[in-house]
Amino acid sequence: MIGVYIHVPFCRTRCPYCDFNRVRIDGAPPDAFVDALVREIDAFDACREAETVFMGGGTPSLLTPGQLERILEAVRRRFDPKAPEMTLEANPDDVTGALADAWRAAGVNRVSLGVQSFDDTALRYLGRRHDAETARRACGIVAGRFANWSMDLINGAHPASSWPATLSECASFAAPHVSCYGLTYEPGTPFGERAHEAIDDETALACYRRSRELLTGYERYEVSNFAMPGFQCRHNLYYWRNLEYAGFGPGAFSFIDGVRSMNETALEAYLARPGRKTEQLRLSEREIRVETLIQHFRLSEGLSRDAYADRFGRDLDTDFGPGLRALTQRGLLEERDGRFVPTESGFELNNEIGLALVD
Amino acid sequence: MAIPQQQIRNFSIIAHIDHGKSTLADRLLQYTGAVDARNMREQTLDTMDLERERGITIKSVAARLDYRARDGQDYVLNLIDTPGHVDFSYEVSRSLAACEGALLLVDAAQGVEAQTLAHAYRAIEQDLEIIPVINKVDLPSADVESTRRQIEDVVGLDASEAVLASAKSGLGTQDVLEAIVKRVPPPRGDRARPARALIFDAKYDPYRGVVTYVRVVDGRLQKDQRVMLMSNGERYEISELGFMTPEIRPAEALEAGEVGYLICGIKTLATVNIGDTVTDALRPAEAPLPGYKEILPVVFCGMYPAGTTDIQELRDALDKLHLNDASFRYQADNSDALGLGFRLGFLGLLHMEIVQERLEREFDLTLVTTVPNVEYHAYLTDGQMKVVQSASQMPEPARIDRVEEPYIEVEIITPTEYLSPVIELCKKKRGLHVRVDYLDARRCLAVYQMPLAEIVLDFYDKLKTYSRGYASLEYHMIGYREGDLVKLDILLNGEPVDALSTVVFRGSAEWVGRTLASKLRKLIPRQQFEVAIQAAIGNRILVRETVKALRKNVTAKCYGGDITRKRKLLEKQKEGKRRMKQVGSVEVPQEAFMALLQVGDEGR
Repeated sequence: MIGVYIHVPFCRTRCPYCDFNRVRIDGAPPDAFVDALVREIDAFDACREAETVFMGGGTPSLLTPGQLERILEAVRRRFDPKAPEMTLEANPDDVTGALADAWRAAGVNRVSLGVQSFDDTALRYLGRRHDAETARRACGIVAGRFANWSMDLINGAHPASSWPATLSECASFAAPHVSCYGLTYEPGTPFGERAHEAIDDETALACYRRSRELLTGYERYEVSNFAMPGFQCRHNLYYWRNLEYAGFGPGAFSFIDGVRSMNETALEAYLARPGRKTEQLRLSEREIRVETLIQHFRLSEGLSRDAYADRFGRDLDTDFGPGLRALTQRGLLEERDGRFVPTESGFELNNEIGLALVD
Repeated sequence: MAIPQQQIRNFSIIAHIDHGKSTLADRLLQYTGAVDARNMREQTLDTMDLERERGITIKSVAARLDYRARDGQDYVLNLIDTPGHVDFSYEVSRSLAACEGALLLVDAAQGVEAQTLAHAYRAIEQDLEIIPVINKVDLPSADVESTRRQIEDVVGLDASEAVLASAKSGLGTQDVLEAIVKRVPPPRGDRARPARALIFDAKYDPYRGVVTYVRVVDGRLQKDQRVMLMSNGERYEISELGFMTPEIRPAEALEAGEVGYLICGIKTLATVNIGDTVTDALRPAEAPLPGYKEILPVVFCGMYPAGTTDIQELRDALDKLHLNDASFRYQADNSDALGLGFRLGFLGLLHMEIVQERLEREFDLTLVTTVPNVEYHAYLTDGQMKVVQSASQMPEPARIDRVEEPYIEVEIITPTEYLSPVIELCKKKRGLHVRVDYLDARRCLAVYQMPLAEIVLDFYDKLKTYSRGYASLEYHMIGYREGDLVKLDILLNGEPVDALSTVVFRGSAEWVGRTLASKLRKLIPRQQFEVAIQAAIGNRILVRETVKALRKNVTAKCYGGDITRKRKLLEKQKEGKRRMKQVGSVEVPQEAFMALLQVGDEGR
């Protein structure tokens, strides 16, 4: 089984904090892009059944129903998904009842809505094109049509005081899945120049803890992700368990047969030669094992000795014993029934776990 | 056939740094055909990469120049290069002792500088014929007359017949050679007496063992001869000897007056003492040549392996490096904070930097180095004297009667407009005023006595800042004096860290403690637990600073391709962590152990 990711790099406006690969556009993405994408999918040769399909961006909600149909058609031809989780990322101001119906008709069964905040000042700070009212309306439309949907929120935007209210409002929509990401000021983005505006660590920590307190009824199953029982994002679990996935579209990453690769990022170059890899890295067994641990310890499920032995045919203690013991002593991991799981500090200081495990 | 002493001239070139010594040496070599233009590379005599990079001579070498003078006769001119830095003043004096004359090279645009003066005095002490050479006369900013006057007024030499030259363009090269022939007296050794040769340098060659550079003063040395080192009575047989051209050229014998090299089965440089006398083992000389002394280190620091370097690698590297440089000392040391390592002693600060750099560069080691310090003499109440080479060795205050520290006399030449900041700096560094002389309308010489410890920290950099780079500095040791000194401790989470403790002047202890603690707060990264930094004298805590606990360190998003990127980022961070030292439960970066050096950067 494999996870399939489709990157739709187009946006009406560029969010100043975003460092994903994206291209500004008015209206729908060009058909030439869809042609290239379909060609790339058709040419894919390491076929296995897809368990999940995730259309991310950019802004996949800019696709016309016809374009979406063509892309998913190609995915079905190539990956034969039997009961896939099929997610589409959407911007609140693209969402209409008619469009949401079209998504459903095309086979989408999960929508991830980029709400980010229910506070107009915070949304303006983030440079989003929607306001809180638009977000509320979109949530209503999506909630009425999809049993499985997710809300993306960003904490750490100014004013930081708006965060509890955003969380409360989020809870009132009872989205079965919520992602709460801390705002980062990535170098190379307009926000990179404004890093001095970042809220201090203590406030960031308070915001992070607030998410857990106010999202009652959810399990924080990953550092930044909350789900009601049965609604974890199966696609993202492919990343967090370091399983195989195939990425399509400009700048998309794949991890297949021990090779992590990246597609051509620039749109023109991608259109000319879809599927060409600009980065290709064969990972050593050790690197794969280290990455698997780092990722697993982002999850509340952590990693069990058995799962490790099943996957690698090796003994977890032999490979990482001293590191895991040190992390347990430092109170970042705890051991329960043959399973190492992150503690609360282990979530808040998650990078320290990775730091202890890398070579 | 032996060359008569009448046809031999032995000379050195002495100069302030950057006044063109190596360039002039190159020109002389080229002119006399010792090195042809094809093989010429800049600074032929500076053989170490470090020497070329830093533009200084660390090890001296010699070259034999064949020169047919204007009088039609053939002469052998032996150029003996001298190290150009204050740390190696003893070696300089031995190189000068091997000569009868010296070229005092002065930059026509810069004039006399502190090292010009110090070198000239040394040459005068050795009774050498000194030939002033005014260099860079073709520079637009050259002021030949003023330079001539300074040589006369400041150094006290007759400069009316100073040779004018431009080593860069080659102007005056022949005049320099002629002046050497005419003015430097020939050697006057007795070739019939038992052999005496002065060792002025030695180097280690991995294929030949130790190569010793000598000036034969009396008698002769020849192949297969049994010889003895007069300082320690060790006996050897000469397996090879000859001249440097500057490439070595074997010969049958070296006669009195000549300069050359010996290879005689000496295994380590540590056996060969600069300034020692080589004599015939069967017919030894009655007395060694004068001026020999054992040179002792004056600056000390600790070096500890860090990262993937282990103690054995450091030991091997030190053993190997010591083959090339026997003038630094090292002995095993155990620091509570830094673990097993070595305590090293050096001739001076530059010497320390060079050794450090060579260890890291040539042996690829990762090291934690502690702040340099001087050697203190602690006189105890029971009458004993304890030598203290690191602060942690300082006895309990109750047991100490008094502490003495090494003092130096510093000669600073500065443009007059910077005199008052320079004096202010000297005062700040506990300097005692000796005198100020006005050299000419623009420049003056300030003489101060001060503790060596003050120089060891940051005096040189400060002096350059206070004088906008114009002041030059030279110093020499003048012995030990009592000082009001205390041991300042740094505690991390309540535990004293020996590698961070330091001996300071009581009057500035509090200020140093505060500044150091605040520097450390900035240098020690946030860790999972709070880190308390305290500065203390005895049981008295002067100040407490806190590094707050790291509370949040998590990457919010981590998808797809980010995984490998993130692993690599973590690996890089870990590499940085490896350079840190685990002191108790606290991770301390390497820079923290050097933080004291930055203390002076903040105004009092």
